[in-house]
Amino acid sequence: MILPGLNRRSVLTGIAGTAALAGLAPGAVSQTRARLVVIGGGFGGATAAKYLKRLMPDASVTLIEPNAAYHACPFSNLIIGGGRALSEQEFGYRTLRDTGVEIVHLAAADVDADARQVTLSDGASVPYDRLIMSPGIDIRWGELEGYDEAAAEIMPHAWKAGSQTTLLRRQLEEMEDGGTVVMAAPAAPYRCPPGPYERASLIANYLKTQKPNSKLLVLDAKDSFSKQPLFEQAWAERYPEHIEWRGASDFGRVVAVNPQAMTLSTEFDEIGADVANVIPPQKAGAIAGKAGVADQTGWCPIDGLTFESTLVPGIHVLGDATIAAPMPKSAFSANLQAKVCAAQITRLMAGEDPVSTVLANTCYSYVADDAAVSITGVYTNDGGTLASVEGAGGLSPLEAGSGVREAEAAQAEAWFRTITAEAFG
Amino acid sequence: MRRRPATCLAAALTGAAACLAACSPSSGDGANATPQASDAPDPAIAERSLPGRTTMLAMACTGCHSEVGEGIVSLDTYSSEQLVTSLTAYRTDADGTTVMHRLMRGYSEEDIEAVSAYIAEGGAP
Repeated sequence: MILPGLNRRSVLTGIAGTAALAGLAPGAVSQTRARLVVIGGGFGGATAAKYLKRLMPDASVTLIEPNAAYHACPFSNLIIGGGRALSEQEFGYRTLRDTGVEIVHLAAADVDADARQVTLSDGASVPYDRLIMSPGIDIRWGELEGYDEAAAEIMPHAWKAGSQTTLLRRQLEEMEDGGTVVMAAPAAPYRCPPGPYERASLIANYLKTQKPNSKLLVLDAKDSFSKQPLFEQAWAERYPEHIEWRGASDFGRVVAVNPQAMTLSTEFDEIGADVANVIPPQKAGAIAGKAGVADQTGWCPIDGLTFESTLVPGIHVLGDATIAAPMPKSAFSANLQAKVCAAQITRLMAGEDPVSTVLANTCYSYVADDAAVSITGVYTNDGGTLASVEGAGGLSPLEAGSGVREAEAAQAEAWFRTITAEAFG
Repeated sequence: MRRRPATCLAAALTGAAACLAACSPSSGDGANATPQASDAPDPAIAERSLPGRTTMLAMACTGCHSEVGEGIVSLDTYSSEQLVTSLTAYRTDADGTTVMHRLMRGYSEEDIEAVSAYIAEGGAP
């Protein structure tokens, strides 16, 4: 299937039409290439840049991303469980560059929404007609008492794939058999809702097979979590001796950590850990705050039709940084939001109104290295409000026939190849 | 890849991600547009070529079924009729539990017909 390519002349015609509508001299816009700037080269940003260029070949599309390569979070829990290399998570921007997207490997330091320009870390300015921000998450350092950047080198969060991922893996490898691994899981909202429980499954799988006298304790700030029946079933069947989960009502919420003592404190007790994985409270990437697109929650409210910020006109926000519930903070969501956003911006640049559509999400989670479960959702965006379609979506069946979990693991692998090629290929 | 009978597609599509679509005639999708041979300006072409509801519906499909990435079942070789038959079968099979069953229940008949035609025609011009 060839996905959408536009006749370049048709877009120019449309842009000229915009100028007429806006009361500008005809040609005022069409003589100047539309300047579209994307901040953040993850699943949302890389996809947005690719599709903006595909839909509007004459537009200038610039992607601002400080890193030369991106480390994908989906599948990174398999590294922590053993048996996958970080190099398999690494994706570059060469293909995107070859398609005509200008890649700027600097950080975006500031955004001036009134002047419509981005300031780079070297002080240079990049003007835009429309800005697409896909800044991912940042950690709320210090919100969990004792958990700062130095603490993360002792008690890794591993919630951004890369050196944190391999650090946690190394700690698990170096732990003596008989040790205790403690995970602190955050309150919602956070990146990848089922992620902590997929990780718990894969850590338990490693302990069961390699360090059978060891145990994982999950301390949770919530009483319920994504795909809970499926995870609980998998834990009971596969890891009854190796995983214990404590919800908020059982004083599972971690309120402080002490990296020197290797302890985690709840409101009830203090727990010692040989390896501690602290998944801390999060917020939209810091540049979202500087641009004024994050609200008091730390996340970014958007219009569900166009993903344009409801706080700052001319800036669209994608992916984990957004308040897009019921769409979850997932790579699938970010990728689809980016494509839909690019399509709507193409319409807007041509002077046409956005149109409603139906969006979807699929997330796979491994429960063992060869078995996975899934959750899906279908969403309307009529009038700019994202809403779940009743009667659609949901979880893999609890009573699964033989081979269903293994089939979903194979589908997950195929999905990973596709979604990374969609964003970076 | 050779075309397969539609009856096999439902079995083949055990994969993920939804396809759907409802396309109103005025929503401006490229699916019905004809390529312009002439360079003469055509004010209608912009609207006809702009991505609309159906294009965006199909964008959900390519999260898993894409021309790149060797994903879950390529959709390239199926006719519109084969796709409608298969996607409708997912939607109406009360016992179905795959990702596609769960997803397709969220799409109307009109959605399914529009996105099937769009995919079978290879997307926008």
